[in-house]
Order: sequence, then structure tokens, then C-alpha cells
Amino acid sequence: MTDEAGPTQTYEQAREELGDVVRRLEAGGLTLEESLALWERGEELAKLCQHWLDRARERLAAAAPADGAGQD
Amino acid sequence: MTAPSSPEAPWPVRTVARKIADWIGRLGEVWVEGQVAQLSRRGGAATVFLTLRDPAADMSVPVTCHRDVADRPGLELTEGARVIVRARPDYYVARGSFSLRATEIRAVGLGELLARIERIRKLLAAEGLFDAARKRPLPFAPAVVGVITGRDSAAERDVLVTARRRWPAVRFEMHNCAVQGPNAAVSVIEGLRRLDQDPDVEVIVIARGGGSVEDLLPFSDEGLVRAIAAARTPVVTAVGHETDTTLVDHVADVRAATPTDAAHRIVPEIGEQRRLVDNLRARSRHLLTSRLDQQDRWLESMRTRPVLASPDRLLHGRLDDVVGLRTRARRTLVHRVEGAERDLEHARARVAALSPAATLERGYAVVQRADGALVRDPAEVADGELLRVRVAGGRLHVRVDRSTGGEDEQP
Repeated sequence: MTDEAGPTQTYEQAREELGDVVRRLEAGGLTLEESLALWERGEELAKLCQHWLDRARERLAAAAPADGAGQD
Repeated sequence: MTAPSSPEAPWPVRTVARKIADWIGRLGEVWVEGQVAQLSRRGGAATVFLTLRDPAADMSVPVTCHRDVADRPGLELTEGARVIVRARPDYYVARGSFSLRATEIRAVGLGELLARIERIRKLLAAEGLFDAARKRPLPFAPAVVGVITGRDSAAERDVLVTARRRWPAVRFEMHNCAVQGPNAAVSVIEGLRRLDQDPDVEVIVIARGGGSVEDLLPFSDEGLVRAIAAARTPVVTAVGHETDTTLVDHVADVRAATPTDAAHRIVPEIGEQRRLVDNLRARSRHLLTSRLDQQDRWLESMRTRPVLASPDRLLHGRLDDVVGLRTRARRTLVHRVEGAERDLEHARARVAALSPAATLERGYAVVQRADGALVRDPAEVADGELLRVRVAGGRLHVRVDRSTGGEDEQP
């Protein structure tokens, strides 16, 4: 499995890897140790994805006060 | 002839005047075409004065003629008119003035004018001056707009009022000048040059209201057309009514139908732009939000997948395996123990079958002497000896008594 440091991954990269992790877990046929490591990686990736999405929402919300200023 | 002049013997004015008049008088008759720049009829005077101007160059020549020549029926001699004059250069000795003495004046007909414009148009088109590739795009919201119009004209008002209403921040650099008549083309060219050189001016509008074909002639002037083509600043024209086409319309970067239309072309409508921006902004926000929502849902669906949501399931199967194996192991062991127990039972039964107890049950007895030795022959025991007898039910002690019996029998 990849050993990239989380924050260097973009959302898309993290997302792609997370999908892959889940597929591999669902496919089975792994040793216990392997599947545990994979699950841990999945958790990490899910947190990373969440982090990116939260950040995006924050930035969107930060821009929100300008909304409505342009209405006349 | 006259003697050469010298400071000691100067010529009188009359001599000089006559000599000049003679020389000029020898010049032949010419046909000349130009535009009437000025026209003066002095009361009932027999002579009419006019100034004939070259429409393409800043040159003019005075023309005089008899009133009858100027007032010939069918000739509409007005300022700005194009005329062809048959004249002879003339020197008026009384005043020392030069003029062309006209003997015939013909108006250049409308058809002729239009044909000429058409010739110029073809010439300029062949040069590529009207090519679409030459058209420059107008700036989106110019800070400064150069405007060339007649002073206080309706065209000026239309441009200014409409443009300000649409885009209040717009500023104008005005050039008011003649927009018809003999000086129009030159003064428009002058304004164009001035505004083109002004670095603040981002677009130039040349506007003029409707008029007769003759009124609009300056806007088909070759010099003006070339000046517009040479300008670095984009030029918008709004000359005459929509149906009038002048050559400046061909060369302009944008041809507006009317001065009001020109204002629409040069500046955007502020409210419309705001709505556009608001709309785009709302759309982009919406797109981004829904994209985020979609990603949130995807992430949620991943996180709730059993493999991620309940990692203990990873252990489930494995625990079952362990339990199963353990059960099997235990069962195997139990089997073993039970088997051993059965074997033991059998062995016991066999032992039981072989023991003398069963014989004793049938009524046999085992007799032993005091030292435990089995008694197999009566001769082995002495009279009165104490013996032990074992029967099925237990032991008893007996004493040998030979007195009561006969001979010991052999079995």
C-alpha cells in the first residue's frame, strides 16, 4: 500500500486511494495484519478527504458575506 | 519695352500691376473642381465672390464671376456645394488681387457625387482599409471616451446622456467642430488626431445626426477615411440615419446606427452587468456547493461501508475460525477420552471374567493354610490345623477334625 504523507495529497488523490482501499477490503483474501493496516489507511484517507471538504466549505463561507452586497 | 527697374528708377505700381496682369492673363482657361467654402453676394453688385476649396487638402482659391453665372437657373450655389468651374486666372489691377474669373459654374450632380464616393470606396476597399481583420475590438468599459460632434447637437446629447445613464463612471473628452460644410472633414480629422494622441482616450465616437447626402459628404472624405484607418484608438461612427452609409462607416471599427446606438456600443449597461456578475456568482457558488455536497455524500457512503464503519467485522470471521478450531480440538479430545474409557471398561470386564470370584459364586471354596498356601490334598493338613475357607460371600475359619470322618478320599 502507498505510504504518502497525508497533507501532500490532493483531495482527488486521497479520494481515489480511499476508493481503492475500500475495494480491496471488500474483495477480501488478505491476511489479518494486511486488512488492519488497510483499514487504518482508509480511516486516515477518509479524515483527509473530510479535512479538504471542510476547508472548502470554510472558504466558501468566508466569501459569503460579500453575497448580497451587489444587490440593488 | 520698359527699362529694368532699379533703386534709382523704380517702376510705378501700375507698371508692376500691368505686368503681372499681362502674365496671368496669358494663362489659359481651366476647368477646376472644388467645394464652395464661402459665398458672398454684395447687394446688387454685379460680381459674386466665392472661395473654392479643395476638399482633400487645406488649399483654396478665390473665384469671381458675374452674377448671371452664379445665378444661372438650375444652379443651386450654396456653401459646401461641389462645383466644376470653367475659369481663367485673373489679376485685378485695381486691388492687386488674384482670382479665377469664372465664365461657367456647374454643380456636381448627386449622381456624380455618389459615383465618386463609390469609386473612392472601391479604391479604399481594394487597399484593404475596410477589411474585417482590421477592425479592433472596443474596450469593455472605457474610462475616457473621445467624442467628435457638432457643438450642442442632438447627436452630442444622445451620446453623452445615453452613455452616462448606462455607465455613470464614464468620462468624455470632447471635440466640437463643424460636421457639415467645406471645413467639416478637415476639422473632424483634426479632432481625431488630437483624441488619438491622448493616451487616456480609449475609444473615439464620431457622431452626427441625419442630413442630406450633401450634408454627409464630409464623412465620405478620403482623407478622413484614411485618418480613421490610421488611428490607434478604436473608432465608432454614428453618422446620419441608419439608412445613410458614408465611407467612414466602412472604415470604422464599429458602425453604430445612431448616436444613441453608439452610446450603447461604447459602454456596458451597469445594471445589466451587475445582474450578470451576480448571476454568475450565484451560479458558481451553487455549483461549488453542490459539488461539495456530492463529495460529502460520497465520503459518507465510503465511511459507512461495512469494511470501514465496523472494523470489528474484520475480526468476525477470524474469531469464528478460532472458535471452530477450538471446538473441533475439544471434541477430538473428548472422543479420545471416551474411547479410552471404553477400552478400560472392556479390560475390566475381561479381568472380571477371569477372576475366581465367579467360580466361588457357583459354590466352590478356596481353602488356605495359615501361611496362605492353597490346600489341594487332605494329606497336606494336620488334624486340628486351623484353615481359612474363602467362599463367594466371604471368609470363615475352620479346624481339621479327622475323628469324625473315614479315610480321606481321593478326588
